[in-house]
Amino acid sequence: MLSTGDYACQYVTRESPVHRIGGGWKIAISTVLSALAVGARSPGELLALVLVTLAYYFAARLTPSDLWRDTRFFVFQAVLVTALYCLLDGVQKGLWPGFRTSVQIILFYIPGAVLLRTTRTGELMGGMRKAVPYWLSFLVFVSIRFVPFFLRELEEIMAAQRLRGARLLPRQLMNPRNWGDLFHCLLLPLMVRALKTAEDVSRSAEARGFGTRKERTFFDSSA
Amino acid sequence: MNPDERTYRWRHFTLREGLFLGFCATFIVLARGGLRLHLHLPGHVMFFTMFFFVLARGCVPKIGATTLVGLIVSLASVLLGMGTKGPLVFVKFLLPALLVDLAGVIYPSFVDSMAACALVGAGAAAVRAVSDVGLEWLSGMEEEIIVRKALITAAMFALYGGLGSLAVPSIVRRLRKNGLIDQGAGGVR
Repeated sequence: MLSTGDYACQYVTRESPVHRIGGGWKIAISTVLSALAVGARSPGELLALVLVTLAYYFAARLTPSDLWRDTRFFVFQAVLVTALYCLLDGVQKGLWPGFRTSVQIILFYIPGAVLLRTTRTGELMGGMRKAVPYWLSFLVFVSIRFVPFFLRELEEIMAAQRLRGARLLPRQLMNPRNWGDLFHCLLLPLMVRALKTAEDVSRSAEARGFGTRKERTFFDSSA
Repeated sequence: MNPDERTYRWRHFTLREGLFLGFCATFIVLARGGLRLHLHLPGHVMFFTMFFFVLARGCVPKIGATTLVGLIVSLASVLLGMGTKGPLVFVKFLLPALLVDLAGVIYPSFVDSMAACALVGAGAAAVRAVSDVGLEWLSGMEEEIIVRKALITAAMFALYGGLGSLAVPSIVRRLRKNGLIDQGAGGVR
């Protein structure tokens, strides 16, 4: 039985033809399908595109449950768009254009979801290194590298502050009167930690010669 | 910042500032990741996004600071599988970030005022609604519908963006008081 991802567009490990296609090809397929979605107007064109897009999605061995996770936000948007059309032009005249536009928008996003669901972060990172300048990819990778670190920090600060009586439980944070605790007991210490970490990391990197040359350099610990 | 610190290719930012801006992007990614699992209120994600955008401007009062955060968030979102909107993910983060930077150019010390922060936060968050307009227009949606939908979305974004930005002045004040960031954000560099 196929397992589903925990959240929308999460990468899932499957043995499928789409998983085996290279990242560049998948980007190209996504671009073409998304462009066709924007251009489709007649019911026939739209139906053909729905079938092709769904075939591409399910060829990646993704489940209907994955599809719902990936598109549910747009389904809510579709309801809003169709309702606005009906409100403006009446149900008879407004239903089809509203429905057509909503389907077009959903079809525009599905190929992107397939790309993210079937392509490893490493592959995307490899592609990004070729496309963006080194200094920017350095900052992006540092910010991603520190996600687990700050997640741990966040949990520790939250636990300590809750012991001190701060109202930081999800249930308590539903009340706007407790948002002061969120900012002053959780986010302020987190920013202090971020500033200190930035200081430590920058000193450490500069001590290893970071930024002394224009091109990318590597620290050789054996030297 | 220490005057001896070296500045890098990202123009006038020191490594420390660049890393701090990267961490602000990390927090936005964390907030988006956390909220997507627990809440389903339209526009609520702008609460933390605008908080960190405006805070980045408060802590690093230089032109382009918020835009750099927006750029890093966009790229990180794509890499972490949050970029469902494809290339539109850049528009959706860069537009609000550019607006915060623009506000910093026009009124450099806006991070000291709660009203100004709320206004900038709400305005920048509302601009994010524009990111869907291009696609809807290309899809042949009626202009009146596009405008109405954009207004509803912009109002929700503005509400949360404004609320999130309200807390920035007091945080910046406390960080300055403890000598963690520069005293006063008056000058644009």
